[in-house]
Amino acid sequence: MNKKLAIAVILYFTVVGLYYLGDGSVFVDHTTFKFGVVALVSFTLYYYIDRARSGEEIYLRPIAGLKAIEEAVGRATEMGKSVLFVPGISDMDQVETVSGLILLGHVAETTAKYEAGLNVPVSKSIVMEAGRETCRESYLRAGRPDLYYDDMVHYLTDDQFAYAAGVNGIMVREKPAACFYLGKFYAESLILAETGNSIGAIQIAGTGSPSQIPFFVTACDYTLIGEEFFTASAYLSKKPELLGSIKGQDIVKGLVMAAMVITFIFHGLFQFGWVDFDIVTLFGN
Amino acid sequence: MFLKRHMPLFIVISIGLLTLFGHFINNTTIQNFVDNDATQWFDIIASFAIFLGALNMLKLQMLKIIRKQNNWQYSTLAVLGFVVAIFAGFFYRGANYIVVSNVNEINLLPISELLTDELHLENQNTVMSNISDAEDGYEIPKIFMTQSGAEAFMEKLDKFDVNMEIKSKKWGVHLQAKGSLFSWIFFNIFTPLSSTMFALLAFFVASASYRAFRIRNFEATLLLVSGIILMLGRVPIGELIPWWVVAILIVFGVGAISAPWIKDKKIFFGLVVGGIVLFLGVGFAMGWNQSPPQILLIPVIQDWIFDYPTTAGSRALMIGIALGIVATSFRIIVGIERSFLGE
Repeated sequence: MNKKLAIAVILYFTVVGLYYLGDGSVFVDHTTFKFGVVALVSFTLYYYIDRARSGEEIYLRPIAGLKAIEEAVGRATEMGKSVLFVPGISDMDQVETVSGLILLGHVAETTAKYEAGLNVPVSKSIVMEAGRETCRESYLRAGRPDLYYDDMVHYLTDDQFAYAAGVNGIMVREKPAACFYLGKFYAESLILAETGNSIGAIQIAGTGSPSQIPFFVTACDYTLIGEEFFTASAYLSKKPELLGSIKGQDIVKGLVMAAMVITFIFHGLFQFGWVDFDIVTLFGN
Repeated sequence: MFLKRHMPLFIVISIGLLTLFGHFINNTTIQNFVDNDATQWFDIIASFAIFLGALNMLKLQMLKIIRKQNNWQYSTLAVLGFVVAIFAGFFYRGANYIVVSNVNEINLLPISELLTDELHLENQNTVMSNISDAEDGYEIPKIFMTQSGAEAFMEKLDKFDVNMEIKSKKWGVHLQAKGSLFSWIFFNIFTPLSSTMFALLAFFVASASYRAFRIRNFEATLLLVSGIILMLGRVPIGELIPWWVVAILIVFGVGAISAPWIKDKKIFFGLVVGGIVLFLGVGFAMGWNQSPPQILLIPVIQDWIFDYPTTAGSRALMIGIALGIVATSFRIIVGIERSFLGE
């Protein structure tokens, strides 16, 4: 065990131990297990971020959907058509929307480099302001602030289906060559993706809504499934600290899988009456 | 630089940490902030921010009309809709109602009869008792968009010797009052248009399913078979499919999977036919006609597919997504992720 890991483990148990002592007085009653899990996830993520910062090489498997962004924008440029980016119908209080805007930054940088048109219809005013800021910075970073204008990110409506109708109208009238659906989506996902499919656009989607992923998989060329969508920032920026957090995330996933197997075994033993303690009660607190 | 970069980052980190620790610290003020105040702050900010969006939408549509850009005609509809909705919401209530008072015993029956007929009310006795019980006058349960509409209705009651007064619903209440101009717009224009968009989903599901179910490889075939079983299992006809049909389909399925390894067509044909004969023979011999095994019933197979493989797959997806959200939130809270600030 290396020194940093040993320090992290000692620190973790100290923090959780202190929490246990304050459980019910300083801290909310019966939340030590929950806090322990939150602390474990945080320590694991931070440990791997630290390792990545100190120079450890982190491998990320190729994600086709992210690689295809440049290809899609390039195609739009060749065809002389615009790129449509839909950041979902949720506000900035959703992590998916934040992730969508992070990807918007990358898409905007690519459209700036290729001098392709970018159209970002949004359904929330705060997202519009955040999206404009993201695009402005991306065009500046690409060295093309002259191509940026505020109205490339524009508001349509807050209503779900009115928004879907508005975006569909843009698709059918302007026929963008590339459509990106990256954010939080509900029932409008298939309406958008199928319309995009009907106009022959290359489509890349990503969402954290499990029920919408099958629709995107069916109708889009590339789909960022589940956590792939949230790794986009790290994958595209290649910043060590972000890559480290992805590695940490995978380790946490491994821990979750191990916890599931252990729970299965111990709960089974409890059901058979071979042990007195039911492990499931831990999760109830 | 400070206001543009450091200040937003400071706010994000401090509020993020406060929200996270608010779940654990035993302090009512902090918990109240996390559970109520913070969300209300967000709602208030979002409500005010809508003006930005609305003005942006109006500006773009107006520019399109003024510059006569492509398809500018659609923009006139957007602007018109915007103006009419603002008018009905803020400037014209269109929610008038009539209050009838001083109704004597003789007029009670004919007035209640007239109201029941005119307004298509269900119970005349209820109307009668409501009129006689109303101390401050009886509010006729109909909203009139215009004053003249209310006056026209009042003329029908003129023959009775009663006091009548036209009143208007309060500002704000008029939005919810069924029959007001705003609610008429909502229920007769907005709702049908929304429903139309939602209904399109049915056709898109059909076209997407066609693409997904096209047999290209093993996975697509699996999807097709599962889809058919799920569809059949959810409709009454699924329960009528006898066990022997399912048995034959199972043999065909096994045959389809093993087909690549059996080159000789005669042997393959023999195996499939033999399998069917054997399966059916065993079934009839064991009396499956009366009580077939659960595995050969479409609704049971459908339930199993839904409860186990589908649930397992969707839970795996949800765990991945949850971890992704946790990791992204962690990166934002500790200030590593700053891409959303444009960095």
